[in-house]
Amino acid sequence: MAIDLQYTPKQHALRAEARAWLEANVPREPLPSYDTAEGFEAHRRWESKLHSGRWSMVTWPQEYGGRGLDLIEWLIFEEEYYRVDAPGRVNQNGVFLFGPTLMEYGTSEQKSRFLPRLASGADIWAQVWSEPQAGSDLAALRTTAIRDGDDYVINGHKIWSTRAVYADWGFGLFRTDGASERHRGLSYVVVPLRTPGVTVRGIPQLDGESGFAEIFFENARVPVANRIGDEGQGWSIAMATAGFERGLMLRSPARFQRTAQRLIELYRREAQQAAPIDPGVAATVTQCWMDAEAYALSTYMTASRLIAGGSIGAEASLNKIFWSELDLSMHRAALAILGARAELRGLGGGEGSALAKAADEATRWMDGFLFSLAGPIYAGANEIQRSIIAERVLGMPKG
Amino acid sequence: MDFTFDEEQRLAAQSLRDLLTDHCQGGDLRRAADARDLPGFEAACATRRARLAELGLTGALVPAEQGGLGLGVVDFVLLAEEAGRAALPEPLIDVEGVAHPLLAALVWAAPGELDDRTLQETLAGSALVLSATPGTTMLANAAFAQYFLLGRSDDELALYRACDISLTHRESVDPLRRLSEIALTDAKPIALVTRSAAASAWQAARARSTVLNAAQLLGLGSRMLEIAVAYSLERKQFGKAIGSNQAVKHSLADVMVKLEFARPVVYAAAATLAPVRVAHAAVAAADAADRAARAAIQVHGAMGYSWEVDLQFYAKRAWALAGLNGGRSAQFSAVHHSLLRGELEAQWA
Repeated sequence: MAIDLQYTPKQHALRAEARAWLEANVPREPLPSYDTAEGFEAHRRWESKLHSGRWSMVTWPQEYGGRGLDLIEWLIFEEEYYRVDAPGRVNQNGVFLFGPTLMEYGTSEQKSRFLPRLASGADIWAQVWSEPQAGSDLAALRTTAIRDGDDYVINGHKIWSTRAVYADWGFGLFRTDGASERHRGLSYVVVPLRTPGVTVRGIPQLDGESGFAEIFFENARVPVANRIGDEGQGWSIAMATAGFERGLMLRSPARFQRTAQRLIELYRREAQQAAPIDPGVAATVTQCWMDAEAYALSTYMTASRLIAGGSIGAEASLNKIFWSELDLSMHRAALAILGARAELRGLGGGEGSALAKAADEATRWMDGFLFSLAGPIYAGANEIQRSIIAERVLGMPKG
Repeated sequence: MDFTFDEEQRLAAQSLRDLLTDHCQGGDLRRAADARDLPGFEAACATRRARLAELGLTGALVPAEQGGLGLGVVDFVLLAEEAGRAALPEPLIDVEGVAHPLLAALVWAAPGELDDRTLQETLAGSALVLSATPGTTMLANAAFAQYFLLGRSDDELALYRACDISLTHRESVDPLRRLSEIALTDAKPIALVTRSAAASAWQAARARSTVLNAAQLLGLGSRMLEIAVAYSLERKQFGKAIGSNQAVKHSLADVMVKLEFARPVVYAAAATLAPVRVAHAAVAAADAADRAARAAIQVHGAMGYSWEVDLQFYAKRAWALAGLNGGRSAQFSAVHHSLLRGELEAQWA
């Protein structure tokens, strides 16, 4: 087969099915932020709703509640998902990072213990990796999980765990060999976040909500059965997860195409008003549309390659740089167009006065902007990604 | 939906790459660039021209029922990328990707005005045809062509014999682009197509030309990146390869980001020939190649500013190609106006 950018009848049918279900089920009003207690539970109910329609993890095998969709079908589902501005996925890290890792490295007992509850939203998962002294240099982590009979006893301090404030479980990387250094002696262990010896403290983000948390471990005990993969194999399992994170699935192109579309709508509306729009901003809007398209086309190309049996390697780092900078650029352009309105904080609901509507619109863009500032930082700062590209793809020397 | 090239498409590109690896290296280019006159230039290119002729690409995009190979732009886009990678001086892409299928389209659409004798001659390989859009007065490699399809206006296309028009050599910044100024004073075309057939044939030719230029820019950019990486490993300062410095690494990583996100855009444009995709491809490839040229020159330091390094051949070709078909500026404006008119949604059918 040569390049064919037309969808098949089966793909069209999937799109129609997803569209119909989403239009019938997506909440009419936006849910409160999942970084509040109330919003978190509302999003958990949405996960359960998605699960009831078998839309919560469409690429998972049917036996775990998925649909066994391939990556192109996943892209189509995501396009429909963002088309109706469906709620953010509170269990995103579970669905796209932990789930695939468990399917690859977990025992069948672990899979049946964790996957169904993950799929239904009964358990929401957080990533528990970074430490105060181990950020970009993750291998410097020092939190230990020392074997004691059938348990690991965990001591140390994790930080920047997204959604951990209200999440039920964490998938973490711990030093199971207390004398080890760097990449050796690490194990991948899952930890309930509401267990004696575990203290979770929210850290307010730029938007004021506690979207991430630090976690203190003081003699917290978890059974050895919570270890995924072999003891000491943690680093290579974590790197497989990191591949998912930077790679294809965590940031679907539909999300950026939807933002680009909203930006264009904003631009076209404001361009009809009396106040002129800076030609530089106009050019940025055009560039943003092009970049969102480029990201989508690139993802379709990668998905086709993977379906044909190819693999994704260090080039995942290219994606991470591209989408994170695009996201930032789109939100900056929107704020520039909004001008003095950009700083307004809305109350939600958007009804009533023109000012209330403008405030809600501004808040959505501003919150998106604040969130987009995190993109070039998390999942490996973009500086790290550039070094990965230079060293592992271009073959430039380390150091 | 399948966004992968097939085996045949990849093999065709590989065979061109193999040929150019043997016959279109920096030294080959330099010999041509140093030629004092046209015969000297042709002599420096003779072996490669002969090998290219043996590749069997003549009439590649001419429909099979007219005696060509019946390939599409998407089958040709990887070849254009290879031509770019090598800064190929010969007009393989302009002829086989643009002018030759244009001639065939006109013969097909307007047989009354244009009989197929010229097409038979060009398909046989005994003559070369080039084309230029309305308003173009400067054409690369015109000195090597026997026929010209020239737009006199958007819906008027004329076929000229080389001996009937006046060509004046003009220097290009790219020493490998043999530019000629075309003058049509009193020139009599051997055929004239004026109906709407001309307009649609032009449109298609312009789209092919824009996409295939973008593909060449992609190839040029990738080659410049490779040259820069190689130099950064070889050049030592402060006792270590300059490529071990993070500032150098990150600059070249950014080039790769630009190139790799221009690539699918160019391929999608080749597959669909949708006007917005084509314009987007032109912008993305021009920007990526420009970034590659600037970064590669910077990595070379003072050497990058010298005539001595081969990098100049690729950079100058990129600058020349980026200005064609209205240039980056016109293509960017085309995307912008589609955006204002609300036409961008239709790209995913």
